[in-house]
Amino acid sequence: MSNHENGPMSEKSKKQSTPMTLVQVREQLKGVKGKRYWKSVDELADTAEFQAAVEREFPHAAQEWVDPVSRRGFMKLMGASLALAGLAGCTKQPDEPIYAYVKQPEDLILGKPMYFATAHPFVTGAVPLLVKSDQFRPIKIDGNPEHPYNQGSSDPFTQGTLLDLYDPDRSQHVTYRGENREWAEFAQELRLKVAGTKDGTGIYFLSSTITSPTLARQWKAVQAAYPKATLVQYDPAIAGTSVANGTSVQYSLADADVIVSLDADFLSGASYPGFHKLVGDYAARRKDPEKLNRLYAIESTPTTTGLKAEHRLGLRASEIPAFAAELAKAVGANGAEGTGYNWTDEQKKFLAALAKDLKAHAGKSAVIPGLYQDPSVEVLALAINTALGNVSKTVLVPHEPAIPLPSDQIADFKALVADMNAGKVDWLVILNANPIYSAPADLEFAAAFDKAKMVAHLGSHLDETGQISHWHIPAAHYLESWSDARAYDGTVSIVQPLIDPLYGGRTAHHVFQTLLNEPMVSPYDAVRETWKSTIKGDFETGWRKALHQGWVDGTAFDKAAKASVDAGFKGAVPAPSPKDALEIIFRPDPNVYDGRWSNVGWLQELPKPVTSLSWDNAALVSGATLTKLNLEEDDIVELSVNGRSPRRVKAPVIVVPGHPDNSVTVHLGYGREFAGRVGSGAGFNAYLIRTTDAPFYATGSIKKLDGKWGLAVTKSHFQDHRPKLFGGQGNGNNSLEADEAIGERGIIRYATLDEFKANPGFANEGETHPKTDRDNTLFPNWEYKDNAWGMSIDMNSCTGCNACIVSCYAENNIAVVGKQQVRIGRNMQWLRIDTYFEGDLSAPRAHFQPMACQHCENAPCEQVCPVGATVHTPEGLNMMAYNRCVGTRYCSNNCPYKVRRFNFLLYSDYETESLKLLRNPDVSVRSRGVMEKCSYCVQRISAAKIEADKDNRAIQDGEIVTACQQACPASAITFGNINDKQSRVAKLQADGRSYQVLADLNTRPRTKYVAAVLNLNDELAEAPVEHLPAKG
Amino acid sequence: MGTTDLKPNDPAIDPATGEYRVIAPGQTFRSITEKIAGIVLTPTTPLGWLALFGVAGAGATMLLVAVTWLFLKGTGIWAVTQPVAWGFAIINFVWWIGIGHAGTLISAILLLFKQGWRNSINRFAEAMTIFAVVCAGMFPLIHTGRPWLAYWMLPVPLTMNVWPQFRSPLMWDVFAVSTYATISVVFWYIGMVPDFGTMRDRSQNKVAQYLYGLASLGWRGSVRHWMRYETASLLLAGLATPLVLSVHTVISFDFAVAILPGWHTTIFPPYFVAGAIYSGFAMVLTLAIPLRKFYHLEALVTERHIDNMGKVLLATGFIVAYGYGMEIFMSWYSASHWEAFMMWNRMFGPMGWSYLVLVTCNLAIPLTTLWSRKLRTSISYMFFISILVNTGMWFERFVIIVTSLYRDFLPSSWGTYRATKWDYMTYVGTLGLFTALFLLFVRFLPMIPMSEIRMMLPGAKITAKTTAEAGD
Repeated sequence: MSNHENGPMSEKSKKQSTPMTLVQVREQLKGVKGKRYWKSVDELADTAEFQAAVEREFPHAAQEWVDPVSRRGFMKLMGASLALAGLAGCTKQPDEPIYAYVKQPEDLILGKPMYFATAHPFVTGAVPLLVKSDQFRPIKIDGNPEHPYNQGSSDPFTQGTLLDLYDPDRSQHVTYRGENREWAEFAQELRLKVAGTKDGTGIYFLSSTITSPTLARQWKAVQAAYPKATLVQYDPAIAGTSVANGTSVQYSLADADVIVSLDADFLSGASYPGFHKLVGDYAARRKDPEKLNRLYAIESTPTTTGLKAEHRLGLRASEIPAFAAELAKAVGANGAEGTGYNWTDEQKKFLAALAKDLKAHAGKSAVIPGLYQDPSVEVLALAINTALGNVSKTVLVPHEPAIPLPSDQIADFKALVADMNAGKVDWLVILNANPIYSAPADLEFAAAFDKAKMVAHLGSHLDETGQISHWHIPAAHYLESWSDARAYDGTVSIVQPLIDPLYGGRTAHHVFQTLLNEPMVSPYDAVRETWKSTIKGDFETGWRKALHQGWVDGTAFDKAAKASVDAGFKGAVPAPSPKDALEIIFRPDPNVYDGRWSNVGWLQELPKPVTSLSWDNAALVSGATLTKLNLEEDDIVELSVNGRSPRRVKAPVIVVPGHPDNSVTVHLGYGREFAGRVGSGAGFNAYLIRTTDAPFYATGSIKKLDGKWGLAVTKSHFQDHRPKLFGGQGNGNNSLEADEAIGERGIIRYATLDEFKANPGFANEGETHPKTDRDNTLFPNWEYKDNAWGMSIDMNSCTGCNACIVSCYAENNIAVVGKQQVRIGRNMQWLRIDTYFEGDLSAPRAHFQPMACQHCENAPCEQVCPVGATVHTPEGLNMMAYNRCVGTRYCSNNCPYKVRRFNFLLYSDYETESLKLLRNPDVSVRSRGVMEKCSYCVQRISAAKIEADKDNRAIQDGEIVTACQQACPASAITFGNINDKQSRVAKLQADGRSYQVLADLNTRPRTKYVAAVLNLNDELAEAPVEHLPAKG
Repeated sequence: MGTTDLKPNDPAIDPATGEYRVIAPGQTFRSITEKIAGIVLTPTTPLGWLALFGVAGAGATMLLVAVTWLFLKGTGIWAVTQPVAWGFAIINFVWWIGIGHAGTLISAILLLFKQGWRNSINRFAEAMTIFAVVCAGMFPLIHTGRPWLAYWMLPVPLTMNVWPQFRSPLMWDVFAVSTYATISVVFWYIGMVPDFGTMRDRSQNKVAQYLYGLASLGWRGSVRHWMRYETASLLLAGLATPLVLSVHTVISFDFAVAILPGWHTTIFPPYFVAGAIYSGFAMVLTLAIPLRKFYHLEALVTERHIDNMGKVLLATGFIVAYGYGMEIFMSWYSASHWEAFMMWNRMFGPMGWSYLVLVTCNLAIPLTTLWSRKLRTSISYMFFISILVNTGMWFERFVIIVTSLYRDFLPSSWGTYRATKWDYMTYVGTLGLFTALFLLFVRFLPMIPMSEIRMMLPGAKITAKTTAEAGD
């Protein structure tokens, strides 16, 4: 805007913001006027001097800031000054006495939750949800069990969005240059400005990928009115992928006998489109050994998909397009040619066996390309699928894209930056994006940003972009606002709010509607308007039905999708980079994605799949590369990417078994400056070395720097495979942990299909402990008359995606402890996924074992508690009486499964107002000095019992669903009454493959594991790995 | 071992036995009383005492600071974590309790066995026991997550109508330790009654006269008093004797009852008792050697005592060694993979260094050298050995607790343990508290039982003839 506004503003804004900086900063800022000032805070924050100043001023705070527990103490101290600065205004109850309901609202029965169908609008496809609401507060998010797409399952991101809603660091006010304003003021200014341009010249919108058909409709209306207004969509995690350009193909794995992943990580999280359905279909085939599918994975960075695969080939990212081309040629795909690349014998053998197997399963196989690969892989995969006749059987090519406005996001974004640099941008409205943080480094976005005359930022947080934008508008969470979105299968779900915006947030719907003829049309009306034509019959009835069931009928993609596609491959695949060049692979983080969930403590603390790393990202390398570079784990390295202007970033290094050599994986989404109290300062910002021409992998270099980073890895991870004789800890084949877990301890038991057929009872072979149903002690067993709760976990289905853990966080009010506490082993998750790597460090097999309290019949913890705080219920649960616990921790020492968690400090946050709304009222919030652990979701059991008692009936099988079970997309967890021989859990526990972990201790755990059976391809089966039966 | 290596004309050696005398020649009733009572009744406090008390007081203050912070923040300020949920606190608890054992053994078992040489050292050994129990007793309380509720471990009828869980070894600890503390205090006090009489009579200070008089319970030294005193001592010795065995047995149950490899073993009770006596005698030596030096008590605490304690160390040390040996043997003989791995990991795992320290301090050095009488009667060497054994026994508990816990059943849960400054402050703080209490004892109470030493002089021997002459 014009300059005259900047002068007087700067005085006020300076005064307001100074306390957040330091004396030195104030000195520096003196005399700086206007917009320049806003820029300079940010610039200053980047300088080494500023960071040194922070460290000088608050040497401990720098550390404390990333550690929420001690950070809370810091906040208390700093609270006064921050509040005075107007940085964190807090909500406060009125001073006058207020009274509870005199007349109860119609729908509300206190203590009885309500459930609403809605959807999590995610960029890879909406996740249909059924959200639990207690006294009008959403307190638990789960998949919509009736929805055909995800059938009740969810994923870590979706589970984490609940905490995102109650994030105390969400921005709370519309601000203009730091001063509180009203939405109406912004709306008026924007509307007048846009109207003044007549055709929208100079008006630019930069949005994250639009997922809402209604929003797309609104945008099209805006575009019709102002044809020169420009919309740029940019999502750093998917720009340049088939998701963004709308060409993604769908897969249906229910009928796929052979599945091939070409760097597609479709089993580990929602960052792959269709995750819920793909995992569900994949896992359904893993339950019965007679129907096993076979998964091959060719991947550039170890993921749970690859580690679950029967056969896994680790290739460097740039080799995968060439491999895909070779595979296409081998199966006779149209237009495919060999690359003449110098493959190793092992790779050739893999390729030949894979091609043979695929051809043998033509029409019953699926080749799934990775999102973060060269576009040729996508085309080649479709060509292979076409050649194999998979299309319209296991592979569906939809008529329309899942997102309403597909675009070439990278090109659009580049054009936007060019326009900004050319001074063409009068108004830039940023919708739910954070380009200052996540823009590709080569575009110098921050410099271009300065040239935009006016920038408005709609966002949930006052993030990196919000900090330096002129206008900031708090965005409403999806649980606070009306919208709509399409799931992977095309079904439209209405995004139904469950709560009024906590901080008066607005959505992109409001922004676009402001510019239209009827600016006051609410998002609700806009969404209704969109679906008026789709909903058949009486609209009100149809609308209510859509809200009730969670989807709009008749919107799913046509199942009889294009059967014949033009799937010939033309052109050439990019040549792999030289074998000695170091490749740097960029992937969205499995926990915080592109950085949008940086401030969600649950997701930050969640150990990442495969690495078990929490609170940081890292440079993931192979053991051989680590040795070659003369590094140790946790060393700090400097990564740089080759290019016009080399950029560098400091990162800690960590070994991942199975990572290709000469290759480094870095996860995006970390290193944020203004994420909030949880996420700021965690990890390093990989966007700083990511460029537009190589968004997924690039060549670069690595250099060792001094010092250690201090990573928090939740499991012991000695990757030492050296045999004991040579000073190592393993047997020369496995690491010590896997050696122990798979060897005589019998913690992990599995067999190949042939072994299983020869010996169906392999899982219990050599078990020396007495049968659990025998009364062979002096003390008679307790007789369970009605219910005896038990759980079964299918090791063959579990893909280690972590959805269960985040679900458990939400259900059981589990505290987040912070990085320093995790580092010393005090993470509080009741459920963990134990990951054991077996075999060669460079080509391992991994086993994922969800481990929570086993509810032992002979619980070792119960005997040793001096105050009887952990006791057995008449239905066989091992319960904690928190009120009675004095905290001797003897139970934890005596627990062989080490599943008990102790509140060493006051971990639960009793003070933050917004987090009080989050808590599940049926579960105690544990204070300091108290032991806690998995309760089999006893609150859910009790609720079901009350319902059954009222009806005077027994509890039916499947009536009680634990939080972990509910979230699991693989249906790997089954819970129920083991007394009822007809229940699913009793049948599973009676299965020959069911075994108890550490059964020889005679703890008689209630949780049983179903041993995995691997469907190996004989041609690729390596020498059989010795896995001994358990011995006492 | 013969006496050939000793000077034949040394007056400190009894020519009849070739052993050092229990009391150096030339002592009389009067000299003993004056010597011992004089230490207490002198109006001038030695500068060395003051300096040491300053240091020890600072240590006790540090303990106060550490415990205050602990109560404010929670046990998380210590290094305890998953999977090592017990750390310094329990190590220190077992260590201090173990140290206490020597005092009870000396005062009770050696009394019953009529080991006259015990008289010179039993008083301060008992004091050591009590102060050690004070230090030890603190730990189970403060190591809990919610120490303000630790009274729930007591079987008191509360309105909650909930009783402790009697199957828990921690519950047994409560009884074992509280009984032990009670008996120790009573025994110590009863033993001091005749000396309180002496102190009352010799004191020149009104206040001291009054206080010692009060404590002496009207002791007049009449034959009837002596008879009852002796009977009471014997009875208490009888009561305390089983405690020597029971307390550490019960404490060993904390571990032996658990199912953890490295804890779950039947050898723990005897092995813990022997270890307790081993460390206790080491601590008696640690205290006795400076005491006899600074207070010139060489005539009362002679080389004979040091020698005898060396022998006890040797004997109990070998029992302990047998325990270690059996653990290793059993880890193989049991054919249990858990045990075998635990032992391998204990010796060669990432914390194998602690096992090495333990073997060096407890076995390698003491058990090879204490055979030599020359070394056993070398005061400085014995002091060195006593410190070594104290260190070794502390590490024994460290090895048992930490190296069993840090790598147990599920490899996914393996972790490590790294003590924090608060752990060290608490531990060193109890050393300060112990020293401060002991210094107060040395300053205000007779540290050697005058009455019993007097009885050991040749002049106190009443022959049959003199009995007849007395005509009583």
